[in-house]
Amino acid sequence: MLTYILRRLAVALAVMLTVAVVSFLLLHLSGDLATAIAGPESSAADVEKIRVQYGLDRPMVTQFFEWLGSALQLDFGRSFYFQNTVMELVGERLPITLKLGAMSLLLAVAVAIPLGVAAALYRDTWVDRLALLVATIGQAMPNFWFALALIVVFSVGLKWLPVAGNASWQNFVLPAVALGYYAMPSLMRLTRAGMLDVMGSDYIRTARAKGLSPARVVFKHALRNAIIPVVALAAVELGFMLGGSVVIESVYSLQGLGQLAWDSIARNDYPVVQAVVLIIATFYIALTFVADVLNAALDPRMRTR
Amino acid sequence: MTTTSLPLPGTAALAALPVPAWRRTLRRAAGHRGLLIGSIVLGLAVLAAVLAPWLAPHDPFAQDVTQRLIPPVWHERGTWEHVLGTDKLGRDYLSRLLYGARVSLVIGFVTALVAGLIGTTLGVLAGYFGGRVDAVVSYVITCRLAMPVVLVALAMASLVGGSLKVVIVLLSLLLWDRFAIVTRSATQQLRDAEFIAAAKSLGASTPYILVRELLPNLMGALTVVATLEMAHAILLESTLSFLGLGVQPPTPSWGLMVAEGKAYMFFQPWVIMIPGVVLAVLVLAINLVGDGIRDVAAPDGRH
Amino acid sequence: MSILLDVKNLRVDLPTERGMLHAVRGIDFQVRRGEMLCLVGESGCGKSMTSLALMGLLPARARRSADRLQFDGLDLQAQDERGMSRLRGARMSMIFQEPMTSLNPSYTLGDQLCEALRAHRKVTAAEARERALYLLERAGVPQAADRLRQYPHQLSGGLRQRVMIAMALMCGPDLIIADEPTTALDVTIQAQILRLIRELQQEFGTAVVFITHDLGVVARIADRVAVMYAGEVVETAPVDQLFDQPSHPYTQGLLRCIPVRGKTLPGSRLQAIPGVVPSLVGEVQGCAFANRCSQVRPACSVAPPFAEVAPGHAVRCVTAAHPATLAEVA
Repeated sequence: MLTYILRRLAVALAVMLTVAVVSFLLLHLSGDLATAIAGPESSAADVEKIRVQYGLDRPMVTQFFEWLGSALQLDFGRSFYFQNTVMELVGERLPITLKLGAMSLLLAVAVAIPLGVAAALYRDTWVDRLALLVATIGQAMPNFWFALALIVVFSVGLKWLPVAGNASWQNFVLPAVALGYYAMPSLMRLTRAGMLDVMGSDYIRTARAKGLSPARVVFKHALRNAIIPVVALAAVELGFMLGGSVVIESVYSLQGLGQLAWDSIARNDYPVVQAVVLIIATFYIALTFVADVLNAALDPRMRTR
Repeated sequence: MTTTSLPLPGTAALAALPVPAWRRTLRRAAGHRGLLIGSIVLGLAVLAAVLAPWLAPHDPFAQDVTQRLIPPVWHERGTWEHVLGTDKLGRDYLSRLLYGARVSLVIGFVTALVAGLIGTTLGVLAGYFGGRVDAVVSYVITCRLAMPVVLVALAMASLVGGSLKVVIVLLSLLLWDRFAIVTRSATQQLRDAEFIAAAKSLGASTPYILVRELLPNLMGALTVVATLEMAHAILLESTLSFLGLGVQPPTPSWGLMVAEGKAYMFFQPWVIMIPGVVLAVLVLAINLVGDGIRDVAAPDGRH
Repeated sequence: MSILLDVKNLRVDLPTERGMLHAVRGIDFQVRRGEMLCLVGESGCGKSMTSLALMGLLPARARRSADRLQFDGLDLQAQDERGMSRLRGARMSMIFQEPMTSLNPSYTLGDQLCEALRAHRKVTAAEARERALYLLERAGVPQAADRLRQYPHQLSGGLRQRVMIAMALMCGPDLIIADEPTTALDVTIQAQILRLIRELQQEFGTAVVFITHDLGVVARIADRVAVMYAGEVVETAPVDQLFDQPSHPYTQGLLRCIPVRGKTLPGSRLQAIPGVVPSLVGEVQGCAFANRCSQVRPACSVAPPFAEVAPGHAVRCVTAAHPATLAEVA
C-alpha cells in the first residue's frame, strides 16, 4: 500500500510540474504579453518599456525557472492590477470557492444517491425513468443559463434568496445548485449502476435468506459496497467543480477564485491567471489522488492487518 | 415437430439461419424511443441550420431600433412579424436562432471530428503498443485532465482574440481526452483478439491492422464518445461566447444571445429563456442519440 | 415423525425471450422433522429453483404456484414478504453453493453472524456473540473468537462454508435448505463438510433439504431421496431402497453411470444415458424422459402420474408402475 501511495505521489508531482510548464508556455507563446498588458492604444516605446519592466525580454527558460522557483515558495509575484501579491489575493478568494465547491458537492450527492438507489430498486418503472430523465436534462442545460434562470425564478420571481454577493450562507444556495446539478447525473448513474450490480450478488441473496428486512438489506449491505466508486467519483467531481466555478462565480458575483481568474483574464493580469490555473490544477490532482486512496481504503479487501 | 412433407435438402438449414446482426441492430434502434426522439430532433436542427437562409423570415443582422425587445407571439404585445420577438437591437430572434444553430452545429461537428482524430490516434497507439508508448500517452492524458478546461480556454481566447475559428481550434485541442481514454481501453481489449492475430499471421503490416482491422471495431464506442464530446463542445462554446470570449458579435451564437439578453432578463425573460431552452434541447437530443447508440450496440449493458 | 414441509404440485415459470420456461413442473415431496432429504438431479433440472421457491427468493419475474406449500402447518403461499422475512433465517434457513461470494466483504464475520440472530430475537450483543462463538466452534472453525473480528476474504473457502453453516443455525431453525454446499470446495474439504452437516443435523434435530448432483453424496448422508429430471420429481424413496431398487429408468440410468461402492462390480462398464434433456420452454408432451428411455412405450406419450410402487417409494413412470406383460410389449 505504501509503495502505491508513493508512486501515485510522484506521478502527481510530475503532473503538477507539467501543468505549470504548459500553462506558462501557453500564456507566453499565444500572444505578446507585453502588448496585451500595455493595451491596444499604446505606442511601441510603451510596449518596450513594459517588456523590460516585467522582465519579459529575457529568455523564456529563464523566465520560467524564475517563476517556478518563486512559486515553490508560494510566491507568485505581484498582481499587475492590484497592489497585493498574488498569494494575498488567492488567500482572500480561495475559501469562498472552497465553500462553494463543498456545498455544491454536498447538494449533488444528497440528490444523486437517494435517486440512484431508488432508480436501481425500482428499475424500469416510472421512478427509474424519471431519475434518468432528470439526469439527462441536468447534463443538457448550459450552466450559465441555468444560473441565470435560477436567479430569475428564485431571487426575482419568488424573492426567496439574494441575487449577488457572498455575505451569508443564503448567497451560496443558488450558486451551489447551479454548480452542483451538473455533477449530479454522473453520480446518480454510478450509484444506480453500482446498486444494480451489487443487488445481484450472492451476499445480498444471503442477507435476504437470513430474513433481514428489505431496508437493512439495501442500506446496510448493498449500499455500503455500491457506494465505494461513487465516493471516488465525488472527489473527482469536486475537482471539476473548482475548475468550472468561473462562470457561476461571475454570474453570482461571488468574489471567489474563479471570478478572480476571470477578471484577471479580462484585465490581462497574467501572474494571477497563471497562479490560479496552477492552484486549481493542484486541487484537482490532489482530489484524484484522494479518490484513488479512498477507493483502495474503503474496499475492506485491501485492509489486511 | 411433425412434418407433412419431406423438406427439400438444404432448406431446413436455411430456415434456421438467424437474422443478420446488423438488421437486428437496426430493428432494436427503431424501437429505442430515446434514440428515435434524439435523432429526429437532431435531424430537424441540422435541417434548420442548413436551410436557415431560406427559413429565416428576416436578416439576422438587420437592426431596427424601432422594433426593440418585442416579445414573442404568445405574449399580448407579440406579433407574427417577429414570431419569437426581437433582441435589444431590434434583430429578429427566430432568424438569429436559426443562424445560431449553424454556429453551434458547425462547432460541434468539427470539434468532435478533430478532437476525435487526435484522441483516437493517441488512444490506439497507447492501447496497441503498450509499454513506454502507453506510459507517455497516459501521462499526457493525466496532465490534460488536470488542467481546468474552461479557465485555460478563456485565458487562451483572451490572448488570441475570440472568434469562431479560435473556438474550434481551442476546443479541439482540449476535448480529445475522452476519445483517447475510451479508444485506449477498447484497443487494449481487442489487441489480443483472434482476428488481430490472424491478420498478423497473414503478414499484415501494423498500419494496416490498425486501420483496417482495429478501427472498424472501435466505431461503436467512438460514435458514442463523439456525440458526448459534440454536446460538450457546444456547451463550452456557448459558455465562452456568454463570457465574451467565444464567437464575437454580430455573429449569432446562442451563448452570445444569452449574454446580450442578460441585462433585460428580469423584465423580458424570454431573451435568455429561448436561446437557453434551444441549447438544452439540442444538447439533450445529441445525448439521447449517444446513449441510444450505446444501448443498442450493447443491449445487455456490457461495456 | 410429523411432516414439516409438504409440497404438492409446485410450479415455477420464468418468462424468457424465447417463451415461458417451465423450470419446475408440478413436483410433490415431503420432509419430516429431523429428516435429511436429498434432492438430486443434473444441472437445469430445477432443483435450485425449487429451493428458491420454498424460501420465497425467486427472481421478481418468476411465477410460483402450488396446490399445497406448507411449512409446519403454515401456508407459505399466504405469507407476504414480511411474513416470509420472519420465517427466513429463523425457522427455515439456507446455505448456498459459493462460499467465496456469499458473505458481504465489507463486514466482519461476527457482525454478519450476530445480525442473523438479532434480526429475529431480542438478544443483547453479548448473547448473540456467545451463540456465534458456540456455533463456530461446533462447526469446526479454529480460533473462533479471532474469526469474529475477521473479514470474509481472510478465510479459505472451506472455512467460509463452515461459517455459513453456523450462520444458518444461529436461530435454531427447523429446516435448512442446502443448495450444493460442497460442490465448490476441494474434494478433501467436501468430505469434512458433509460429515459436519450430517452431525449437526442429527444433534440439533434439524430437517435438511440437501440439493446435489452427486449420487455419491446421496449415498453417504441421505435419509430419503427425491430424484429430479426436467423440472419434475421422477422418483422418491428411502435412500437404501433407491439404491437397491431404482424404479425409474432415469434413476436406473444414473446408477449405471457412476461407480457406487458396494454395488458396481470391478471391471464392469459404466453406461452414459444417450440423448439430451428436452427444452423446458413451452409445453413438454408426455413423459419428459421418453426420448432417452430404453423402456419407452406408446403409453409414455401421456404424462405419467406420480404413483406409489412400494411404501414410501413413489415413481413417475408408466413402466415402473405397471410392469408390462408380455402381451403389451409388441
